[in-house]
Amino acid sequence: MTYTALSFTLLFVIATILVSVWQKLGLERDIALGTIRAAVQLLAVGYVLQFVFEADHPAFLVLIIACMIGVASWNAGKRGRGMPGIVWRIAMALTATEAVLMSLFLGLHMIKATPQYIIPLSGMTIGSGMIVAGLFIGHLKREAETVRGEIETLLSLGATAKQAIHDCLKRAVKFSMIPTIDGMKTVGLVQLPGMMTGMIVAGADPVEAVRYQILIVFSFTCSAALMSMLLSALIYRLWFTADLRIRE
Amino acid sequence: MPNVLEITGLAKRSRQEGNEASSSGLLFSEVTATIKEPERIALLGVSGQGKSTLLRILAKLDTADNGSIALYGTASDGADPRRWRMRMGYVAQLPVMLPGSVEFNLRTVSRLHGTEYDRKLAERLMGELGLENLALSKPATELSGGEKQRLSLARSLMLRPDVLLLDEITASLDRGSKERVERLLLRWHQEEGTAMIWVTHDLEQARQTCGRVWFMGEGTLLEDTPADAFFRAPATELASAYLRTPAGRELEHS
Repeated sequence: MTYTALSFTLLFVIATILVSVWQKLGLERDIALGTIRAAVQLLAVGYVLQFVFEADHPAFLVLIIACMIGVASWNAGKRGRGMPGIVWRIAMALTATEAVLMSLFLGLHMIKATPQYIIPLSGMTIGSGMIVAGLFIGHLKREAETVRGEIETLLSLGATAKQAIHDCLKRAVKFSMIPTIDGMKTVGLVQLPGMMTGMIVAGADPVEAVRYQILIVFSFTCSAALMSMLLSALIYRLWFTADLRIRE
Repeated sequence: MPNVLEITGLAKRSRQEGNEASSSGLLFSEVTATIKEPERIALLGVSGQGKSTLLRILAKLDTADNGSIALYGTASDGADPRRWRMRMGYVAQLPVMLPGSVEFNLRTVSRLHGTEYDRKLAERLMGELGLENLALSKPATELSGGEKQRLSLARSLMLRPDVLLLDEITASLDRGSKERVERLLLRWHQEEGTAMIWVTHDLEQARQTCGRVWFMGEGTLLEDTPADAFFRAPATELASAYLRTPAGRELEHS
């Protein structure tokens, strides 16, 4: 795609801004800002990837994955405002999930051990882990508030923190996995996933693209389960004080 | 033999500033009392004195801002909250059923602590509480308020605690069920030697079931006297006013 063709995509943005002005939606500023950010971020990433692919040095790979985990943890951590240490716990869970999946991908030779494969797949793994973490924390917060009485009843009968919050954790793990599982059921029927579409547009064989997409979908399910279970083990104690009362 | 329970200089700040209960910002202070023998104690006083809060502090479900508690010589500070709660059986005013069957709720203690489920005891308690016809497989959350309250008591008794902290546990019971609960607790006390601290607004109940009265007022434990003396002639003017005005008491309670 030439830069001339790329610049024509701005017509979509201009049309959107016109609609906003015409309908008095007041979104012009946000649309403009979003456009600039998206363009700059993506172009920057493109050049960074180009550099990393050419350099082909593991240090850059680690650095990029660490950045992805950092941003994802910070972003998902916003759901857990007021909970001390939530961000680094999410980071730990994401790192472990990423490590398990990459070991499987590379160990079983499902993908080639080059940045071209590792970086996009890491991005997808970490991105889906981030969404799972956000859902999990948000749901656990609501859940623990709703069944506060049950938690306290269990505590008053001598339960440990883990015993007292176990049912809540189970429900939150389930809840955070539902979108991934639902997505697996409709993939290809409702939406063509971005990666697959991209590969097809770039000229790859559709069946080859589908094989990679299957890898992605299955590994997402695994990473969702890993992520929510690791996270539940890492954060449940945050709901309790040191002397085993419910934190206010 | 150490005392059953020693409460020394216990104080608790009001949750919100400007609470009308006291101008000092304290819900109560200087609460000091000793239970030498496993007794049955009625904890009385108008609403808002912190009776429930006191029970929750005793169960380590809430913290005191000052003072200390010792159970059979073991200080509550630094005590393992789990062990402590197993010895201080707290039965809340609003019974919370765990999602699951009646039997699931009865089995809670055995499940939490990996002990054998004492089916005989459970059956006996259910019978004495008038719940013998309740299907054990029925979802506990579908029970009536009164059934929940009695099941919640049975669930806590399965712990066989040293001290029972009872927070208005007969408030939503009809007369017959209330008497069953009273009879059961009297017998339990005789057989198990369990001390009881019983918050109630039912003076008849306090008089018949408790040997001692703790009366809370003016932001502290105002009286600690044998029940018959308290009901005959309370030492403080506040307590006699409290005993004279059942209507006012009911009103404050509701």
